[in-house]
Amino acid sequence: MIWFSALVLIPLAAIVVTAIDGGWGIFWNTITNGQTLSAIKLTVFTAAGVTLVNIIMGPLIAWVLVRDRFWGKSVLEVMIDIPFALPTIVAGLVLLSLYGTDSPLGIDIANKRPAVFLAFLFVTLPFVVRMVQPVLEELDRDVEEAAASLGANRITTFRRIILPSLTPAIAAGAALSFARGVSEYGSLVLLSGNLPFKTEVTSVRILSSIENDNVAGAAAVATVLLAISLTVIVVLDLIQRRVAARG
Amino acid sequence: MSIEVRGLNKKFGDFVALDDVNVSIPTGQLTALLGPSGGGKSTLLRIIAGLEKGDSGTVNIEGVDATNLPAQKRNVGFVFQHYAVFKHMTVAKNVAFGLEIRKRPKDEIEHRVDELLKLVHLSQFSHRLPSQLSGGQRQRMALARALAVEPSVLLLDEPFGALDAKVRKELRDWLRRLHDDVHVTTVFVTHDQEEALEVADEIVVVNEGRVEQVGTPDQLYDEPANDFVMSFLGEVTHLGGVSLRPHDIELDTQPRLAGGVEGTVSRMVRIGFEVRLTVLTVDGDEVSVVVTRTHARSFGLEEGSTVWLTPADGATLIPRMAVAG
Repeated sequence: MIWFSALVLIPLAAIVVTAIDGGWGIFWNTITNGQTLSAIKLTVFTAAGVTLVNIIMGPLIAWVLVRDRFWGKSVLEVMIDIPFALPTIVAGLVLLSLYGTDSPLGIDIANKRPAVFLAFLFVTLPFVVRMVQPVLEELDRDVEEAAASLGANRITTFRRIILPSLTPAIAAGAALSFARGVSEYGSLVLLSGNLPFKTEVTSVRILSSIENDNVAGAAAVATVLLAISLTVIVVLDLIQRRVAARG
Repeated sequence: MSIEVRGLNKKFGDFVALDDVNVSIPTGQLTALLGPSGGGKSTLLRIIAGLEKGDSGTVNIEGVDATNLPAQKRNVGFVFQHYAVFKHMTVAKNVAFGLEIRKRPKDEIEHRVDELLKLVHLSQFSHRLPSQLSGGQRQRMALARALAVEPSVLLLDEPFGALDAKVRKELRDWLRRLHDDVHVTTVFVTHDQEEALEVADEIVVVNEGRVEQVGTPDQLYDEPANDFVMSFLGEVTHLGGVSLRPHDIELDTQPRLAGGVEGTVSRMVRIGFEVRLTVLTVDGDEVSVVVTRTHARSFGLEEGSTVWLTPADGATLIPRMAVAG
């Protein structure tokens, strides 16, 4: 508990305190400022969208990794973790060179909103996959065979037996993926161009607040982000409990 | 006949799991597939259930050619060694699963689940999760779940293998009584000869992918077709060129009976009411003999005693084979 407090609770509390110290006026002004609001909206919606994609793609990739055998599987296995291992600014460089103005693929999304989406997608890819994979590996084949012998086809077995077992892992992965998306900085800062009202995300906004000596403003934005992340994590947890209980 | 298996072959890579197996399983009976681990009996059961496919041969269930039917269309109940419970569902939901898939009316499902839970003595646990049940209770739930769909045959793969000895014995008796009530054609796999002898109406002995013998427990025990069946169903020892059970040897401290073989007691182990002796005969054989404790005491037996051994009247004797089991 002391460990947890020192690492998590005290810094979080400090942010909230700093935000309140600045006074309600500054807090309110900062977060209702058009530029900030637009940054928050962009960040949250993009992170939510990316998380949705991960909820669908993550289990699929995990399924392929666990159940299928194919040439190059172990390579793919390692590749999944690259977004984890790569410093985010390097990821940003890779994305910039691939999808920037001189794109060898002819796809130029520099300074556009898809750049933010793509960067989020890149860094959050491993979360759901890595959460679901061990659960899928632990899943008894017996259970699927039992469902089949009771008359269930593949789809019913997946929906009624496999999916409920995976839900907690998917939810946990989704929460991580969302949180990571909201906090992402390095990988998108190069490709997105950080244009106010267009491609500027909250983490960039917070940094510029601090650079302008507006610590209270930065803390205010951070507090809002904190609240949103907390809400999403709690909501995902509730959904997960509901689904798991329903069967 | 309820299940007819003809010319079934199955290989896993180079390993021959089943080698031209032919079996007929009678309707309404409790049949045991008995054999050592890795002998192919589980594979045979899984092929009957449609969970595995044979390389060649046919499976016929209740007059329907099931060889190419997928598991979900065969209407067989299957019970797994490790229960295969649906962890996230309550006991009642587990049992209801097969009926819900068949889209039966809700009140019918509820009624049937109640009935089955009563049958397996789990009524008071209907709202619990499987993780809150003991192993024996989980297996009874799995049995109720398999019975819910009114299968034409019930298949059990080492159903009591994961349970401790006491629960295993209780469930074994209970399965026998349940079968007397329900009368569904039942096949269970076991490597425990005592279990098979005690519970089954008929036993199919499977070894190294082949059927060694089919018969009632008495037939198998009294008239084993070969050395393997004899040794698998109980202890076997060899006395003067024949195989026989250690308790079927009569022992005396005087050469009273004709044809007695002389020997010396080299080892003596008392286990409860019985005494196990190892006797070295003058022919150079090492013979195991089991006598009761009272018997041993009346002869004043001890290590080093000289005794005479003869096969008892009515003992099961089969000629000893080159490679004795």
